[in-house]
Amino acid sequence: MSKSIKIALAGNPNSGKTTLFNALTGSEQYVGNWPGVTVEKKDGILSGHKDVVIQDLPGIYSLSPYSIEEKVSRRFLVEEGPDAILNIVDGTNIERNLYFSTQLAELGLPMVMAVNMMDVVKKNGDKIDFEKIAKALRCEVVGISALKNEGGMEAAEKVVEMAKKAVVEKGPGKLPDVPHVFSGSVEHAIAHIEESIQGKVPLRSIRWYAIKVFERDREIIKKLEIGVGEMKHIEEHIRDCEKELGDDAESIITSQRYDFIKRLMDKSLALNEKRKDKATLSDKIDKFVTHRIFALPIFILSLCVMWFLAVAEHGPGTVLTDWANDGFLADGWHLPFTTHECRAEGKYKGMEFEDAQGEFAKQDASKSAWEEAYLEKINEGKSDDDKVEEMPEEIDEKVAATIVAKGVFVEDEETGEPIAKEDNEDEPDLWDVDFAAYKEASEWEEPDPSQFGVWVPGLGALITDALDKAGVSDTVKSLVVDGAWGGVATVLGFVPVIFIVFIFLAFLEDCGYMARVAFIMDRLLRRFGLSGKSFIPMLIGKGCGVPAVMAARAIENERARRMTVILATFVPCGAKTVIIAMFAALFFREQWYVAALMDVIGIAIIILGGIALKKTRFFAGEASSFVLELPAYHMPTVSGVWHHTWNRLKGYVLKAGLIIFPACVVLWFVMHFDWSLNLLADEEIEKSILHDLGSWIAWMFEPLGFGSWQGAAASVSAEIAKEQATATLGLVAANMDGATTGSHIQALFASVSDFPKLAALSFMVFNLFVPPCMVAIAVTFREMGSQKWGWFAVGFQLFVGYVLALSVYRIGVLVAGGGFGIWTALAFALDAFCLWAIFRPGKKVEC
Amino acid sequence: MTLAGMKEGDRARIVRVSGEEAVKRHLGALGFVAGTIVRVVGESYGNMILAVHESRIAVNDATARNVEVADV
Repeated sequence: MSKSIKIALAGNPNSGKTTLFNALTGSEQYVGNWPGVTVEKKDGILSGHKDVVIQDLPGIYSLSPYSIEEKVSRRFLVEEGPDAILNIVDGTNIERNLYFSTQLAELGLPMVMAVNMMDVVKKNGDKIDFEKIAKALRCEVVGISALKNEGGMEAAEKVVEMAKKAVVEKGPGKLPDVPHVFSGSVEHAIAHIEESIQGKVPLRSIRWYAIKVFERDREIIKKLEIGVGEMKHIEEHIRDCEKELGDDAESIITSQRYDFIKRLMDKSLALNEKRKDKATLSDKIDKFVTHRIFALPIFILSLCVMWFLAVAEHGPGTVLTDWANDGFLADGWHLPFTTHECRAEGKYKGMEFEDAQGEFAKQDASKSAWEEAYLEKINEGKSDDDKVEEMPEEIDEKVAATIVAKGVFVEDEETGEPIAKEDNEDEPDLWDVDFAAYKEASEWEEPDPSQFGVWVPGLGALITDALDKAGVSDTVKSLVVDGAWGGVATVLGFVPVIFIVFIFLAFLEDCGYMARVAFIMDRLLRRFGLSGKSFIPMLIGKGCGVPAVMAARAIENERARRMTVILATFVPCGAKTVIIAMFAALFFREQWYVAALMDVIGIAIIILGGIALKKTRFFAGEASSFVLELPAYHMPTVSGVWHHTWNRLKGYVLKAGLIIFPACVVLWFVMHFDWSLNLLADEEIEKSILHDLGSWIAWMFEPLGFGSWQGAAASVSAEIAKEQATATLGLVAANMDGATTGSHIQALFASVSDFPKLAALSFMVFNLFVPPCMVAIAVTFREMGSQKWGWFAVGFQLFVGYVLALSVYRIGVLVAGGGFGIWTALAFALDAFCLWAIFRPGKKVEC
Repeated sequence: MTLAGMKEGDRARIVRVSGEEAVKRHLGALGFVAGTIVRVVGESYGNMILAVHESRIAVNDATARNVEVADV
């Protein structure tokens, strides 16, 4: 294949760049990260042009290094060098947008300027003279409307044509024709600089480099290795200009650029005078949304909407989660609107599916209760070796006639699981099962869901079926179903919650509200050393910590960015809500507020942690400025919200495949094998490798109240993915007393502590607030920029989680009358240290 | 006079931007250069929404204090 043509798509934020990119590339795009830094780099093939790659740069205002995005984009444009630039410009704000265009033009690459939102420009009654702009900036100018899909393709084809022509014409020593925008003395200085750097830079971009040297851009000067004597000479020229114009070099360049644009606009832009200074609809909305008093209530209201949509009982998030966990990923589900009562002849005729299931469960309970009683009777007086363990084919009618068992089926209100007999002696829901009732019960077969509507088998059922058909051994089946699929399904089961959080946030971002949130919250967050822009990562963190940490890169201030990365994952994410839900159901049935309390603790850690970190020498100093463009409010497009949501969600789904899958296979292995690699039965888990691994580190969890191998194993496996804590607990507690997984886990905590509820709370708090899952840790390391900072973040998170769990348990035990011990003393000491870290006077640092 | 002294609806001409180098550079790119006219669209606890060219830029009080302005 011939070499492909690379077109860089560059423009200001909110200029419609993403819309144009999606329109140009359709579905053929792939997102990668820039090498070394996590700034998203999207490449796409231009529709209908297999040999043209469109490279979407982040939306930036300038090629001066301000944010990470600007640094990365400029390095790409200058060093990697695309074949041509497609510069998208917001026609309704053309003056400001041209500031970036003048810089792009200086790079000396073929360039087409696509003036976007021409439909709005026309509607406003403004007129733009493209020819004059084209002549001044030495590029082609076309009007487009990306939203209406008008003109974008033509602009792209034009730039491709220019790129192809340039490839043919490209001679080595050709000075490009680039605009000269500065005043006499500045141009004079730049000409001198050009002379002295000739040969060190590609000729076509020499002007761009020369201007950067004039601005005293450290990165460029260092790269060009200009000699001391040479630099001294250049410096003289710069100083002359500064003296003459009474400003510093960088400001001179900035304001002369704007002067140039202003002169150009005077000739080429005719604004409709009637619109001047008139309050736009956005301004009117902002009167309320950023109002002194209403701003916060409006914001809290929108958070409540998100909370309702995602996690409230009977809300769409919960309904979808139940469907995913119990239907789609498990046995199967009925297509909505197709369900009906059973029409087939038989015992279930006329019943709804749920009633049929309930009836079957009851009959099944009667059957097993009676069978148990029968076996007990016929085994009376026999030695252990002679005991009959399974129901014989032939039932002794005489014995059978004497047996009346107690039906024990009682449905647990919360979990829907049958509760063990001994827990429910007082329940009225016991019934007698005699021989006749047993025979009747034996005739009930499990209801066939397909008789109640259109039944779609779930993935779990399909996998089990396929394995059955393939005739694989039970070991392989267990590996696939319990090990690999089980883990992947738990992760996928929470896609609905995360999906809803992300859709909602994408909507808020795309309509323009999120920028206002950053503005409103800045005043508050500044006190904790954060920026208003830190709030967005934290909101994303409610869904998933991985995109949350990545979203922090929008924060320019390095201290605030690092703090945001450290703190954002304390917001309980979608996966952590699984732990909360399980513990709330098993241990805190009466404490309805536990789930909300965990969110509150997360927020408290962020605030107090922020205050404490800000007082350390690493984060001292004020992040004094806040500057953010507020885009005009507009209705988001479906495809825009979808792209946004999917980009974030994809990471979560990929995680299920790339990390959870192999990790779960390993986990299954250590759970089912002993050191001699013998396969173990489920009851033999105490011989497993996992048991030994857990035992070795159990001492670390002793102070926290769950120092058993099970607690240790569950906590460590939670680092694979947080929701794994619940799955592992269920498996490692299988040997405990009780009829259900839930009661096993209750028994497990009762066996490790005299205060099982406190131990359970401690376990939950520990797993929620120690470092997040390993995927999020990996991203944290990358975003923190160095190993040292990565370890700092993880160390801080580990400390917070451990101290919190220790305090909850030890101080809880003390209050509950369990006495004072060395660990209680340690808890108090560490708490005192934390309070000191929060309340000590901070260092005043001038910046 | 700086931006911090202005009220909603006020217009002024920028004279000089001071403060941290990087922030100054960023403000410059957004159009905060000597000669540009700004208008205060909204104000809340000293934080401001400003109209510069055709865009709306939110700044906090500390940033507003760094932008010196004069009457139009």
